[in-house]
Amino acid sequence: MKKIAKLLGIGVGAYAALFAVFFFDLDGKFLFHVFEPFVKNHYDNMPRRDMTQVPYDMNKFPDYKYDEV
Amino acid sequence: MSFIKDFWYGKPHTAEEGGRRLGDNYLPKTGLYKHREWRGVKDTFYYFHNIWLYNYLHMVTDVIKYGGIVNFVKGVWRYRWVGQTYLPVLHWFDRGLEGLRGEALRASAWHYRAMVNATIYQFMTMFNADTRLHGGKKNDAWYHTMAMKETTWGGMFYGWSDKFKAVSLEMIPYFVTCHVNSHTVHNYIDAVQSIGLPGDPCPMCQAESGLFVLDDIPDYSPFMITCNEACDGSVATAILQDWFNDKPMYALQMPMQFDDPLANKFVQKDIEKCWKFIEEQTGVPMNLDLMYECIERQNELMKFEWEKWEVAAKTDSYPINGVAQALYRIYQSQFGDLPIWHEVDSKVRPIMEKCVSKKINTFPNTRHRVIAWSCAPLYYSNWCTWAYNCWGLNVIINMDSLMFDMTIRTDSYENMLEDVAQYHMWAPMRRMAVGGMHHIFELWDYMKRFNCDFVMMYDQLQCKGMQGVHGLFEDEFRDRNVPAIWMPHALPDSRTVSRAEIRRIINDYMSTVMHEEPLDPSLLELDDDMTW
Repeated sequence: MKKIAKLLGIGVGAYAALFAVFFFDLDGKFLFHVFEPFVKNHYDNMPRRDMTQVPYDMNKFPDYKYDEV
Repeated sequence: MSFIKDFWYGKPHTAEEGGRRLGDNYLPKTGLYKHREWRGVKDTFYYFHNIWLYNYLHMVTDVIKYGGIVNFVKGVWRYRWVGQTYLPVLHWFDRGLEGLRGEALRASAWHYRAMVNATIYQFMTMFNADTRLHGGKKNDAWYHTMAMKETTWGGMFYGWSDKFKAVSLEMIPYFVTCHVNSHTVHNYIDAVQSIGLPGDPCPMCQAESGLFVLDDIPDYSPFMITCNEACDGSVATAILQDWFNDKPMYALQMPMQFDDPLANKFVQKDIEKCWKFIEEQTGVPMNLDLMYECIERQNELMKFEWEKWEVAAKTDSYPINGVAQALYRIYQSQFGDLPIWHEVDSKVRPIMEKCVSKKINTFPNTRHRVIAWSCAPLYYSNWCTWAYNCWGLNVIINMDSLMFDMTIRTDSYENMLEDVAQYHMWAPMRRMAVGGMHHIFELWDYMKRFNCDFVMMYDQLQCKGMQGVHGLFEDEFRDRNVPAIWMPHALPDSRTVSRAEIRRIINDYMSTVMHEEPLDPSLLELDDDMTW
């Protein structure tokens, strides 16, 4: 009985906590103020290839004209 | 007593009845909520259980189903467009569904659920195959995924769908991001300008190219198919993609003036050439029976869409709001067949039937039935939710929903090919936007068909094609005595015309030309400059 009451209590507590997150937009606030600045900083400082240094091999592949179709 | 009534049923919409004052829920600048809207007990808990919790849970299960948490986390860490964009997706729901009650809330939210599933399916397909997330290894998925430009209809590849997945290069990294989190795309626009592109070409083409300039596109396919749609801006995009992607490429062609029967013949030939290219690259012939089967399934989606349009046109019981209608339809008709579209349509059908049979007025404070024409601002696609809540402007239908207004015949190869060519040529931003005068002016027929009395005319400031017909529309609006608002925007780029500026233009028109009072004055002026 005690176990069931405890489980019920945990369930009700979790439900209330989730509802509080939903109602007070805590997910939005966390993502806006914490998560997005963190990942933005990560992406801004990522090493990236300089794509302008990639040679444009215009004749590397055939023309794929298929004039016989 | 009034407090108890408001608690139980939610506050009434209009200022005269006490008002919801939805604008007071926002925190300044960010567009975040002090608290989410209280919609009455029934609808608040529907939103909490069936939208917020349901969608968070299904986002996790979708990720697991389509490739697993590890691939997802690797993708989030590697690509800005997924990590920065897609986690706040529930806020995208909030913005689009603000103020909705009852059946309209339920049906519109299902449309969002479908788009989330389709988005996760696509980026997980990319991540499963991406050599960058798998130590440079070309795995089996890499050899079984096709890449195409986002303006190429996904149905073009139905004939291989039992063995290959087809995912567009930019639909998820660019197009959908702008709706969910408009911050991300600025990086890609700036990137392509940083290598010398001037600032005035179409920002869609700029952003699509910028993804490649920033090396932010997964390497998930051995080849790619590009396309010149919507205009010559896309031709330039394809050249940059050819340079940076460095893979075998087939450039599909799409004539501007598609009414010419010779154009259809030409496109049929070109599509067959494209199929031959795919057969050559994959070593697998097209399965024609599979092609017919998938087309038939897509035709089912079109037939239900026609039923929806019928309800939207002839009753006040259409339960889908403007933004859900527009985004779902363009996404579904452009991507092609997916199980989630059928699943969602089967959820929406009983809701719509209930509304019709019980004659439920789903948007009871409608003052004007609006048709939205031309290409919409991607960063403010939810403007129509705001416009209904603030002014009673109810967007019934929009141009993007109406583009692919056809089923495809499957009774013979010749008929199928002719219709596939037609569908291909009626692509986004082509059929009515730059496809010729007759088609641009289809507005008047659709306005009549959908029983609309008001036009929201999108004015994409960097679209040279549509800028050319601005004056002609002005003349027609005057001659026909049609109230119309020009809404300037720069497609994905929220820095050119802000959301606040768009609202100001609508506010000015509604008060000075229409002499109307707002339904909810708290929404007239908002500072949401930093919002997603």
